[in-house]
Amino acid sequence: MSDQTVIKAPELDFNTPQLLRYRKVRSLKDKAAEISIGMGGISVILAICLIFFYLLYEVMPMFKPAHMSQVAEYSIPGSDQLENGASSKTVYLAMEEQAEKAIRVTSAGQVVFFNVKDGSLVSEQALPLPEGVRVSSFAESAIGNHLVIAGLSDGTAIIFKHRYKMTFPNDVRVITPIIEFPYGDEPIELDTNGGAINKIVLRDSESALFVIGLNSNNALFSTYLSKEEDFLSGDVVLEASDVAMPNLNDDVVDMQLGPDLRWLYISTAHGKLDVYDLSDHEKPLLNSRVDLTDGQYQITSLELLLGGISVLASDSSGSVSQWFMVRDENNEYTLQKIRSFSHSQSPITSVASEHRRKGFIVGDEDGHISIFNATAQRMLVDEKVVEGEVNHLIIAPRANFLMFENDAGQLVLWAVDNEHPEVSWAALWDKVWYEGYEEADYIWQSSAANNDFEPKYSLMPLAFGTLKAAFYAMLIAAPLAICGALYTAYFMAPALRRKVKPTIELMEALPTVILGFLAGLFFAPFMEVHLPGIFSWLLITPLSIVLFGFVWANLPASIRHKIPEGWDPLLLLPWITVVSWFCFEMSPVIEQFFFDGDMRGWLTNDLGINFDQRNALVVGAAMGFAVIPTIFSITEDAIFSVPKHLSYGSLALGATPWQTAIRVVLPTASPGIFSALMIGMGRAVGETMIVLMATGNTPIMDVNIFEGMRTLSANIAVEMPEAEVGSSHYRILFLAAFVLFLFTFVVNTAAEFVRQRLRTKYTVL
Amino acid sequence: MTEAAQTKTHAIDISSLGRVSEALNLENEKISLEIKDLKLSYGEKEALHGINLRIPQKRVTSFIGPSGCGKSTLLRCFNRMNDLVDGCNINGQVLLDDQNIYDRKVDVAELRRRVGMVFQKPNPFPKSIYENVAYGLRIQGINKKRVLDETVEWALRSAALWDEVKDRLDESALGMSGGQQQRLVIARTVAVKPEVLLLDEPASALDPLSTLKIEELIHELKNDYTIVIVTHNMQQAARVSDYTAFMYMGDMVEFGSTNELFTNPSKKQTEDYITGRYG
Repeated sequence: MSDQTVIKAPELDFNTPQLLRYRKVRSLKDKAAEISIGMGGISVILAICLIFFYLLYEVMPMFKPAHMSQVAEYSIPGSDQLENGASSKTVYLAMEEQAEKAIRVTSAGQVVFFNVKDGSLVSEQALPLPEGVRVSSFAESAIGNHLVIAGLSDGTAIIFKHRYKMTFPNDVRVITPIIEFPYGDEPIELDTNGGAINKIVLRDSESALFVIGLNSNNALFSTYLSKEEDFLSGDVVLEASDVAMPNLNDDVVDMQLGPDLRWLYISTAHGKLDVYDLSDHEKPLLNSRVDLTDGQYQITSLELLLGGISVLASDSSGSVSQWFMVRDENNEYTLQKIRSFSHSQSPITSVASEHRRKGFIVGDEDGHISIFNATAQRMLVDEKVVEGEVNHLIIAPRANFLMFENDAGQLVLWAVDNEHPEVSWAALWDKVWYEGYEEADYIWQSSAANNDFEPKYSLMPLAFGTLKAAFYAMLIAAPLAICGALYTAYFMAPALRRKVKPTIELMEALPTVILGFLAGLFFAPFMEVHLPGIFSWLLITPLSIVLFGFVWANLPASIRHKIPEGWDPLLLLPWITVVSWFCFEMSPVIEQFFFDGDMRGWLTNDLGINFDQRNALVVGAAMGFAVIPTIFSITEDAIFSVPKHLSYGSLALGATPWQTAIRVVLPTASPGIFSALMIGMGRAVGETMIVLMATGNTPIMDVNIFEGMRTLSANIAVEMPEAEVGSSHYRILFLAAFVLFLFTFVVNTAAEFVRQRLRTKYTVL
Repeated sequence: MTEAAQTKTHAIDISSLGRVSEALNLENEKISLEIKDLKLSYGEKEALHGINLRIPQKRVTSFIGPSGCGKSTLLRCFNRMNDLVDGCNINGQVLLDDQNIYDRKVDVAELRRRVGMVFQKPNPFPKSIYENVAYGLRIQGINKKRVLDETVEWALRSAALWDEVKDRLDESALGMSGGQQQRLVIARTVAVKPEVLLLDEPASALDPLSTLKIEELIHELKNDYTIVIVTHNMQQAARVSDYTAFMYMGDMVEFGSTNELFTNPSKKQTEDYITGRYG
């Protein structure tokens, strides 16, 4: 004002060299901060992109189409011109593990080993056959098994084994093929009348050696040698016993014996497939007879899929159908058609099953070769490889090469690149009828004890389990966290709020492994014992809180005013403790009174609800506990940051605090609450340790709150250490991770989108 | 903006307003609010030291005084908004129609409906214009469309806003200008038919034109409502109010008709303040 004494303004030069330098440094600092913050943001995006692309990189090879290419073609090794002028032909062809050496057995009884690459002869030797006797049929004891049997033209059969000895002289791998006779080189007598054995099957199980031969008059002969271990020497002693064979009326096309020595599959002319039950050695029973082709086509061959459970019947129309014995409710087995694979129109000449997977290859008269996978019901490759017929099609044990004879008497070798045939959209997301199951179903079962097991890679149970766990967690967490946040932010005394909020946020610091540990090892068994207590607690506690609030509000003011306003929730702590104690003390009494002392049994027997100790309720509670701090903290912030002048405006209009909270505060805070829920949901979906320890990890699809589940994240944690790097299993786990990533990405993006919409709607000036 | 409003209106002489020609006398007025020995303290600090005041019905009463003198605090006592302040302690009586509003039986929400309040900063809810005005009715349980429509139109007309917004009732209230928002808030308050309107510096955040509109509106509304206005702006107090109370340091220094208080203050403090010695 005017009466103030005027002070001379100090001299300030803003352009001294020192200040200029300072300004320069200042703007440099500002630039540096801008760049480093920008870099930080970009590197976060980059990291996410890298994760995305790394997952894709691991997943993509699964969806690479299979392909094959010709490697070599050479004339059939071994001398086929016999001394008497006749020629012999191939009865058996197989490659060893490395696909380096191959064996060829001719009808003259010659065993020819040759190099796969160029067909050069390695060694050749003759089977010990009587003079003039030829090999009339041939079989492996199991797919890819080197124990084989040759049915002979004099009604006998000879069992031998081809083996490949690997040595490394001078660090070079040398494979030496040899022939052994583990069951002696004496032929086994089948047809005592000396009729040629046209079809033969061999099974070498742990308990017995079973050979069935068929002569040209459609008569079946068998030799059953049960194995018994001599208790003194430990040697296996073979003891012959008779197994009665069925009488066949029709012409037999092909036959196969299941690995359990029980089911004998015989395909007859006119497209019929018969299954005989040989479990009663005295009396074979015809179990089923099915018409494969409605009498239109001829069956060309029967082949077993790896494991011997499925039968592949191929016919002259060029299609292959898969069948296996399905057990019904009465424990009766019937042969059921599972699926069929259509090939070209040409009659199928040759079918070979893969040695390690549920896949097979098919060759036809037209020179086509197709590669199929049974589980995924998928044709991977279909290529015309040669003019004329494909014969004696075989596949290498590692399924990386295939070989066949063409019409011109040449052996043709093709390389196959078919790493992940078992993956298809249907195999991952649709119901699949797996071997041994009664119907198509969603199953996750990636590995088993044996090698010929069918891997079941349905992601549905895992995706379902993930959503189920997240659902129950959110069911418990969302109402508690949001209501708690509303109370804390809007009604609670500020001094108490300053203590409550950090305490709840501290819950988040609790390692989830401890939560999982407590849930799995303490809470789950506790709940199992106190089931009625848990339910009465869930029912009684909220009611008792309402009752307490009612009583408190109606107490005389003199008592109420002893507690400062906003501090009254503390009174609930002892009250809830007492109510909880009461519920759990009453648990045995309730159980005795209402459920005959066993609520679990009552659930299972009277309601038909299965009860797992580690179930969705346990997970919901434990994961809810983990998610509550996240949701609470963000929601509380959102509600607390609703400007006071809005709630005052509402209150000043005559709204009650509750009306203000519901009609003004909550809608205004809704973007924040929404993102809190979504972040909580993201946390629940991706949470691993709690679900790993408290779900039981059973990959089942059941909404039942008392059943466990397996989530995508827990599945990755459980199986990744044991998955072979680069295998389909390994890549499917990455696919599961990718699905999880996409899921959270989509949910979060959608959430952010909705949040922005809400925010523009409710932004307060 | 307040500065601008002041400089612009500085030329107006109080005597030239003319409209306070009739001699106002508190003795002849009906009394709407009677404040008896009201003391208020925030924790240890006493903010109001025993206020006694009779606010006349259907008149505009303004509270003036320097910052921190307690005029807004006193205003907020009339609809118990001070209850929301932590550690606030109130002694004494505020009688509305001979009923002490600090009585335990009083329904605070209903009291606040009867004593409406408009704040310094426009605070429309993040809802449509229509819903903002209808809000007060909805919380009273009135949801009939016809009643709402009628009341909203009437309230918006009362606040001289109808013509500006009648075509965009469904648009967000947040898209309006500050002056419109403040009139919307007045409409919202009027819609629940209060008896008393408390205006807490309603124009201090507005530009001069909007301020003028608000002042005209106050002039209109005083026919139906008892209006109490807190203002920093003495010219505004002089222009809009019938009675003026001057407060200083938590005490009611002088209360009388605006004409008299501005032209012939009986207290030295009042004179010093209105002549700009301090403040």
